[in-house]
Amino acid sequence: MARWGMVIDLDKCTGCQACSIACKSENNVPFGSPEENTRRITSYWHKVIAASEGEYPAVNIEMIPMPCMHCDNPPCVMVCPAKATYAREDGIVMQNFRRCIGCKYCIAACPYGVRNYNYKDQTEQEYNMPDLPPDRSVIGPWPYPHRSHGVVEKCTFCFHRIDAGLKEGKKIGVDVVPACVDACPTRARAFGDLDDTDSEVSRLLAARGSFVLREEKGTRPKVHYLSK
Amino acid sequence: MAADFVAIEGRSRNYYLAVVILAALVFFGFFCFGWSYFEGHQVFGSSNVIPWGMPIVLAIYLIGLSAGSLILSSLTYVFGRMEYKSIARMAVYLAIVLIFGAMISIAVDLGRPEKFWRLFMFFYLNNMTSMFAINGILYGGYFVISLVYFGFILAGQQTATKIMGTVAVLWAVLVHMGTGAIFGFVAARDAWFSPIKPFEFLAAALTSGMALLIVVTVLVLKLTGRDIKKDMINSLGRMLAIFIIVLALLIFIDKLTHVYEPAREATIYMLFGPSSWIFWILQVGLVVVVPLVILFHPRWGKSIGGIVLASLSVVVGVFFERYYLVIPGAAYPMPLYPGHIEGVYGAVGLFPIQWAEMGLSLGIFTLLGLMFMVGLKYLETLSPKELVEQPVNSPVESPATAAQQSS
Repeated sequence: MARWGMVIDLDKCTGCQACSIACKSENNVPFGSPEENTRRITSYWHKVIAASEGEYPAVNIEMIPMPCMHCDNPPCVMVCPAKATYAREDGIVMQNFRRCIGCKYCIAACPYGVRNYNYKDQTEQEYNMPDLPPDRSVIGPWPYPHRSHGVVEKCTFCFHRIDAGLKEGKKIGVDVVPACVDACPTRARAFGDLDDTDSEVSRLLAARGSFVLREEKGTRPKVHYLSK
Repeated sequence: MAADFVAIEGRSRNYYLAVVILAALVFFGFFCFGWSYFEGHQVFGSSNVIPWGMPIVLAIYLIGLSAGSLILSSLTYVFGRMEYKSIARMAVYLAIVLIFGAMISIAVDLGRPEKFWRLFMFFYLNNMTSMFAINGILYGGYFVISLVYFGFILAGQQTATKIMGTVAVLWAVLVHMGTGAIFGFVAARDAWFSPIKPFEFLAAALTSGMALLIVVTVLVLKLTGRDIKKDMINSLGRMLAIFIIVLALLIFIDKLTHVYEPAREATIYMLFGPSSWIFWILQVGLVVVVPLVILFHPRWGKSIGGIVLASLSVVVGVFFERYYLVIPGAAYPMPLYPGHIEGVYGAVGLFPIQWAEMGLSLGIFTLLGLMFMVGLKYLETLSPKELVEQPVNSPVESPATAAQQSS
């Protein structure tokens, strides 16, 4: 079984947020409003944070794109009481809306803050599409029917693309990649099988120094960053 | 045995007035819950930074209050201390009402409350590594055990009461440690992650529960025109003082370990940040300083008024301790990357006061008050007014009651 992972080259990343937009569009995540964003009740399956070090003029700002880290040792799966969050065999940490009771324990336990609670029923104009993507006839039934308020959502590494691609016999990481990787104008992102030594992600990790976020928490994330 | 406890009359004008007011507030709380259910949790103050709001504050607060009552009743029914017998039944009933309120609070905090039953599908649909699932067993069991215990007390079965009382007290200890573990085991949040949290919760539960019991006892006895035994209140006050000292020690150690470790920003924010007045004035002041000053004062510490005031201060203060742990404790941004995180992801979380959330909290409190008042009317929980004059029939109780009469 593959172990899907992502490598983000911070040297190439310009912080343009194309990945965040692509994610919202692909996964039908509502836009929210500026007020909701200040209150932090909007959903961001993917976000880009800016971390500054030092004082002007000797200041350095790093843009860190943050999808879900899809940890090998996920704290959210550990604390979910309803088995709504689970790790698939290929390592993707999934959220089953039908099982989720909305206790928000996973939001409290996630060291990366990538989990989002759905605070309201989305209005029609906030959707990119009337229902969750993609066409259900391609991949069969989703693990959850509709988006509703009161459940926790998160990045899925665009599992629908991966599953559909595997069914069609395409090469994952070359022909089929998650929406954020697809959208990156500087090709700062790579997606592929971390266990496959021929994949681009393994090659990049072997060639350059890399790190993961909050390594001290022992979560072993599958999203790796190549340092500047 | 039947003459030892009676129900209150409950026909006075004031009683009905109180019931009507409480019922109206319960209805308002229910309306707020319906509002949040149909509109989503945007009507609450919680966010993706501060995931839990007032209902969870209430839940852990009410669970804490429940313990002290139950443990106090065990002094009579398990350890045979007859001086507390006149309030022991009321204490058990109070414990049942409070744990019910805690479970209601957790249910209304769920985004999908109709899936509440999923928390109780132990080992089948539940992931048993979750502290919530484990606490499902603990809270549900606590509720059932307390009900059975109360049933045995009402039926007057002494041996069965003793056994169930012992089980209930040991189970109550587990319940509080489990509640503390919800927070103490979350490694992602530096301000929460602590092995001492379960013990701190246990101490806070004993302190607040004891304090609430003193307040409720004096209030009920006074409003129903019964005698207040000064000895009993005094000894309860002394126990309260000991619990407060233990709690203060645990809070101090907890904060010390968090400040001593290098990742101390979140705790520094809690101790000296803009909302630290809640910690210093409402938590340390009301839970530790004010009650200890009153209880160790040579004259105030002996008077019923002083002890009730100290207890009231503890009951209010422990509420803010819970509040401070759940809401500002989660507000400080997590160190996702070294350096200062710009913009909204590096900002301290906001918790606006929302009317729906406050109305819901008020509704839960008044629901408990209503249940307690109705329970006093229909259950035989209080000692009769003429207890002092009546001859005592039961040979087991006579020495203790005689001692009370002579004092």
